[in-house]
Amino acid sequence: MFFRMLKGALFRQKSKMIMIAVTIALGASLATAMLNIMFDVGDKMNQELKTYGANITVVPKTSSVLNGLYEMDEAEETTASLKEEELGKIKTIFWAFNIVDFAPFVNTTASLNGAQVKLVGTWYNHHLALPTGEELDAGVTSLRSWWDIRDGKWIDEQNTDSDRVAMVGAALADRLGVKAGDTVTLQTANGSEALTVSGIFDAGGDEDEQIYTTLAAAQRLSGKQGQLDSIEVSALTTPDNELAVKAAKEGPASLTPREYETWYCTAYVSSICYQIQEVISDSVAAPVRQVADSEGNIMEKTELLMILITILSLLGSALGISNLVTASVMERSNEIGLMKAVGARDRQVTGLVLTEILITAIFGGAVGYFMGYGFAQIIGHTVFNSSIEMKPMVIPIVAVLIVIVTLIGSIPAIRMMQRLRPAEVLHGR
Amino acid sequence: MKKQKMFLKMITASLIRRRSRMLVALLAIAVGATILSGLVTIYYDVPRQMGEQFRNYGANMIFTPAEGGALSQADIDEGLTCIPEDNVVGCAPYRYESVTIVERPYMAAGTNLSEVQKTSPYWNVDGAWPSVSGEILVGKNVASTFALKPGDSMTLSYDILSPDGKPATADETRDVPTRDMTFRVTGIFDTGGNEEDYVFLSVEDMTALTGEEGGFDVAELSVSASSEELQGYADAINSKSIPLSSRLVKRVTQSENTVLSKLQALVFLVTAIVLLLTMICVATTMMAVVTERRKEVGLRKALGASDASIIMEFMGEGLLLGGVGGLLGSFLGFAFAQAVSVNVFNSSITFHFLLVPLTMLVSILVTGLSCILPVRSAIDIDPALVLKGE
Repeated sequence: MFFRMLKGALFRQKSKMIMIAVTIALGASLATAMLNIMFDVGDKMNQELKTYGANITVVPKTSSVLNGLYEMDEAEETTASLKEEELGKIKTIFWAFNIVDFAPFVNTTASLNGAQVKLVGTWYNHHLALPTGEELDAGVTSLRSWWDIRDGKWIDEQNTDSDRVAMVGAALADRLGVKAGDTVTLQTANGSEALTVSGIFDAGGDEDEQIYTTLAAAQRLSGKQGQLDSIEVSALTTPDNELAVKAAKEGPASLTPREYETWYCTAYVSSICYQIQEVISDSVAAPVRQVADSEGNIMEKTELLMILITILSLLGSALGISNLVTASVMERSNEIGLMKAVGARDRQVTGLVLTEILITAIFGGAVGYFMGYGFAQIIGHTVFNSSIEMKPMVIPIVAVLIVIVTLIGSIPAIRMMQRLRPAEVLHGR
Repeated sequence: MKKQKMFLKMITASLIRRRSRMLVALLAIAVGATILSGLVTIYYDVPRQMGEQFRNYGANMIFTPAEGGALSQADIDEGLTCIPEDNVVGCAPYRYESVTIVERPYMAAGTNLSEVQKTSPYWNVDGAWPSVSGEILVGKNVASTFALKPGDSMTLSYDILSPDGKPATADETRDVPTRDMTFRVTGIFDTGGNEEDYVFLSVEDMTALTGEEGGFDVAELSVSASSEELQGYADAINSKSIPLSSRLVKRVTQSENTVLSKLQALVFLVTAIVLLLTMICVATTMMAVVTERRKEVGLRKALGASDASIIMEFMGEGLLLGGVGGLLGSFLGFAFAQAVSVNVFNSSITFHFLLVPLTMLVSILVTGLSCILPVRSAIDIDPALVLKGE
């Protein structure tokens, strides 16, 4: 009998049940979309913030430290450097997956038509095939995304055979009258190189007075074959917390083994720096405060903002659903009055109505989950040009939420049902 | 006259007598209106609030002296007049001089240290910022070279220029007169950049050390404005006849543009979708509330009411509910936006009065539309059928 009545209610009152299901589906889709976006927005914004460039720089342990430590009081500058062959190791650290880009640098001065210019050798879109099978295009093309190429184009390492190419800063190019396609001849104590100018860039900073060339050409000119002056690394990081601050301030050695493990296995900028130092010999990796600190700050704000918007929309959809449930139960007072008149007990009536609504809710919730998936993907593709990762943990959250909301929404209706006097309702008052 | 009275009586009566149902409808509308006004306020406020966060990246505009001169404070102040005062977060002028510390050459910068805290909030200082004369802030590399700790003292020596205006040459090193000054190190900072090789002191101390008032080499400005606005300010300053040139720090402005536009697009889309779904929710609730009254519609039709008058009455009700709900929601929404702003950005927002009529209008429209559909379908049906209960 219970099931027959249930079936009857579900099928005969089809339009009403569909309406409830639609509202629940809308609420569920809203919850699904917002929760998924909220959980993923950190990663997405982190990617976007990579336009600010590298957040870690790696330099050789300076001569001054060596001098201070071993009292080697000789030459002003012992030319400490990093080894080029160790570069690939950066992608083998614990948080290798979080290293999105990096580029090595060699700096030197060369004379060009008698004038001294600063020459920088680096990677542009260097193709790396890693032992892990991962492939990566690393270099300054993405690390210096704010550069404006005025004339010509970026150096394309993958499609040019010669490493004798260069890009000239706008201010320097204006002074020298250099255009893309021209050849500049640079001379140092180690020889001279004729470099073809691939493009003129406007960086809005000191780089406008410099010449950028390939790593190999700069190494030959400076006589630093196989050596590097610095490495810039762009890594996805987690905003610092107390533990990270403590580790950065007092050194990893001050942490308890348990803290150390947590710290090492979290993508704090300090732990990534520490791991880079482990693989690159005689190096000091330090966060670029300007980028690293601001990044954490902005991510925190964005996440908090999304959490609050999510809470508002969850509250909104919860109220919307419970409202509709209340309204739809109220309008059935006639039917309920009749049931009570023929001897149904309160518990039975409540059970019937609740089961009806819960079945509708489960159905609506399932449809809503997939709708929410769609909404999340629309937002992901429009804003970030990539899909939003669907977290499995959203499913139970949404399910529990829907059930609780529908039950709470039914409370006023159930109370009304129990107070209902059959004679009054049937009489039509 | 009589008709109008009857109309009003019917509306108020139905609102009061069917209290619980109307409360349900009002609640639904108010929730929708709260979300509308709250999200729209946040959407408009996010660029401003986030823009302030982006000032953490430091200076986005710099003044450099024109052709081989030096900047004077007067020039900088005049340049600043082109930028609305409220938008300037900080302006730190720097005067660089080479000094020697224990026979090693170093760069010292004289600046307004309280402004540096505003233009470069990312400096990580161990200790405190100098506050009085005779105090100095030391870069991490300098500090590690000389094993300095906050509280230590250090001596800077400045080579006094020989009478012909050139610094002493190498072979006269021994006789070069120097002026020594001892400073107390208040803090050691790290930035991950070149600044770690410098020491920073106040302009007054720099004047005392060098014995002369010199101009500034560069001024860093942190301005909260979009990159187009910034370019406008820079052009305005350059077109004036002040001996300085201003330009944007591309790295900061360009990247801010990219990230901020993404963020705005995100909040916009989220707002749009949340609003759409909320409005549909409001509409279905209203529909449920009105559908219930099909019998009433049938009865009134049977008594001879015209379709127009029935629709009018429901619209009147919808108007009232939508208006009250919208009013309620616009204030609740502001409260929500204010809470978000205080919690996320630690600053308050201004109340947009235009949002009140807008929210009310949208709620009235949504309620009106969602009432009309079920009423129309009730009207289309033969009153006899409705009353019979089919």
